[in-house]
Amino acid sequence: MAEEKETKSIDQASIELIEKAAKDGVNTVFDRADAMKPCPIGSVGSCCKNCSMGPCRVPLPKGREETPEDKQKRRGVCGATAETIAARNFIRMVAGGAAAHSDHGRGVAELFLAVAKGKAPGYEIKDEQKLMQVALDWGIEIGDRSNNEIAVDIGEKALAEFGRQEGELITLRKAPLKRQELWRQQGVSPRGIDREIVEIMHRTHIGVDQDYKNLLKQGVRAAIGDGWGGSMIATELQDILFGTPAPVLGKANLGVLEKDKVNIIIHGHEPLLSEMIVAVAQEPEMIELAKSKGAKGINLSGMCCTANEILMRHGVAIAGNFLQQELAIVTGAVDAMVVDVQCIMQSIQTVAECYHTKIITTSPKAKIPGAVHIEFDEHDALKSAREIVKTAIENFPNRKGGVYIPGEPVNQIAGFSHETINYLLGGLFRASYRPLNDNIINGRIRGVAGVVGCNNARVKHNEGHVNMVKELIKNDVLVLTTGCNAIACAEAGLLVPEAAREFAGKGLAEVCETVGIPPVLHLGSCVDNSRILIAATAVVKDGGLGDDISELPVAGAAPEWMSEKAISIGQYFVASGVYTVFGVTWPTTGSKEVTDFLFKEMEEMYGGMWDFEPDPIRAAHLMIAHIDKKRKALGIDKARERVLYDMEMRRELDAV
Amino acid sequence: MEYKIEKKPAPGRDEVEVLGDTFEEGTPEGEELGKWRQKLDSREDKLRYLQSGERYWFSEEWFGSEKRKTPA
Repeated sequence: MAEEKETKSIDQASIELIEKAAKDGVNTVFDRADAMKPCPIGSVGSCCKNCSMGPCRVPLPKGREETPEDKQKRRGVCGATAETIAARNFIRMVAGGAAAHSDHGRGVAELFLAVAKGKAPGYEIKDEQKLMQVALDWGIEIGDRSNNEIAVDIGEKALAEFGRQEGELITLRKAPLKRQELWRQQGVSPRGIDREIVEIMHRTHIGVDQDYKNLLKQGVRAAIGDGWGGSMIATELQDILFGTPAPVLGKANLGVLEKDKVNIIIHGHEPLLSEMIVAVAQEPEMIELAKSKGAKGINLSGMCCTANEILMRHGVAIAGNFLQQELAIVTGAVDAMVVDVQCIMQSIQTVAECYHTKIITTSPKAKIPGAVHIEFDEHDALKSAREIVKTAIENFPNRKGGVYIPGEPVNQIAGFSHETINYLLGGLFRASYRPLNDNIINGRIRGVAGVVGCNNARVKHNEGHVNMVKELIKNDVLVLTTGCNAIACAEAGLLVPEAAREFAGKGLAEVCETVGIPPVLHLGSCVDNSRILIAATAVVKDGGLGDDISELPVAGAAPEWMSEKAISIGQYFVASGVYTVFGVTWPTTGSKEVTDFLFKEMEEMYGGMWDFEPDPIRAAHLMIAHIDKKRKALGIDKARERVLYDMEMRRELDAV
Repeated sequence: MEYKIEKKPAPGRDEVEVLGDTFEEGTPEGEELGKWRQKLDSREDKLRYLQSGERYWFSEEWFGSEKRKTPA
């Protein structure tokens, strides 16, 4: 009997399109991953290419324990040890990730200021309440001033945070007081967001910082500047400009593409342009133009984190996550894929050339040879958006034969910002996290997990994400999700309230049914991991579960991570006190000392630590074990009899 | 919310005015779907909500688990 071929995805539509790509002679990420194995030295952090005396390779000996003599020899030409090299590589990943999130935040802040000054027509402040909230947070006067006057101050203050030379970020004030103090004691409260990233690049240059612990400390500082700084600024200002997300019904999967309509996929990360494209695609003139070209209308969908942004605020359908970007084009039904920054494969242009799809780059920071470039001008955003939508419409008649759109769209509910969770649990007059805390204390909810991160072509698409999340909710762990994990969960049908009955444990299902929420809450894009930090802080501040995030029965994971952003996210979660497990591979195993520091010593310093487990079920069990450890420390590991006091018992109490 | 007044026939009288539904639709549609923040109209309402709803950060006399702590 022929051996059954291992599939590359758990998603049936993706499997069918991988097969179609092979028939069409199209090379995809899955083929390339098969053809090229990862470098065994670079993947464990044992290669240094920071100067031209190298690259230097310092691998561990094969098939035996390292001897002291081996260790002595494991040095680069400059003398840098395997520890220094592994730590340098690791924190350069943090710098890359923190830079990506934070430059996104800076872009939002620049647009925000332009809007406040009336220099960006088409945009407006949509959420006055969030404007007030941020003004209070940052100590900006409200009084009788107009929204725009307040917003100018907020925009200027936000931009100043990137270049702050001393003191600490104002956004750190949102963290639990105990955590803020711990960061000060450890000397890792970030100054300016940019400064911490630049300092990493300086300290990892040849011949600068050669103490791996000191290097890793700077990695912590920069990562906090990402999660509690650049990412948080992005989220807060986007909420003010585009609205704080509230529950919204949307669809997911490649089946959201429509054969008879002009399909435009918006792919990337920043919502600045995509918000305008959403508006323009609904204009009657554009719909008429589409009809004049033979289409029945315009169908907009998203890919990766841009998808999450426009889903959270407008309910626009999600076509897929990172590993589905080429496959969407393989349908032959995508008339334009509009991209901005981050997680965009250069190969989409090559794939597009096999069909009729136009790849439209929009950011001066991210161009692809062969693609159409229509630069996004924030000062005339509607014009840029109209040009893009028109380009897509005019490409509709160029479709070649063989359009194939597999899969049925799956329903999902997204839009769970911190503000909305607070409102849903307590209502308008007493918004509160109390019901969540009470149900954690009484054990219906065992704990809370943040499961986030990318796809990785080295493992089966979406399998790690979905298996881990199912295992967690089965064990009564409420899951908060963002990024590509959220899209994987949506495609697996986990983001609807009915999923609680089908997949969640009894306790979690009871709570979800009572509140009317899914067991997996979609909090947004990867910069929106800052929403998870705020939600965790609200749980701390509500009381009854300790005084710091590190005391909560919570854990984090990125089962299919691949980007530097994921490392930065993991590092700021660990630095915030969260036990965080990554799958696929671990980039410091070339140095036992560096790995031990990240996996063990960081817990003593920050209350959170890293872990690595490629099996998603075993990783979920590690998270549950950590949650149980925290429950025990809080004294809520055993059910206790509740005693209702009568008046006599109360009088006895008073007498004491 | 706006109160709905309905006219209904009454025994022994022609028509009487009766107060209609005073609840919000359970399945709002369109732009209103799932939205809740527009329920707060004025800036004063919004600031008051922040003090109560977001009291973890903005209430002056209530700091949750941190209320017994010396501020850092």
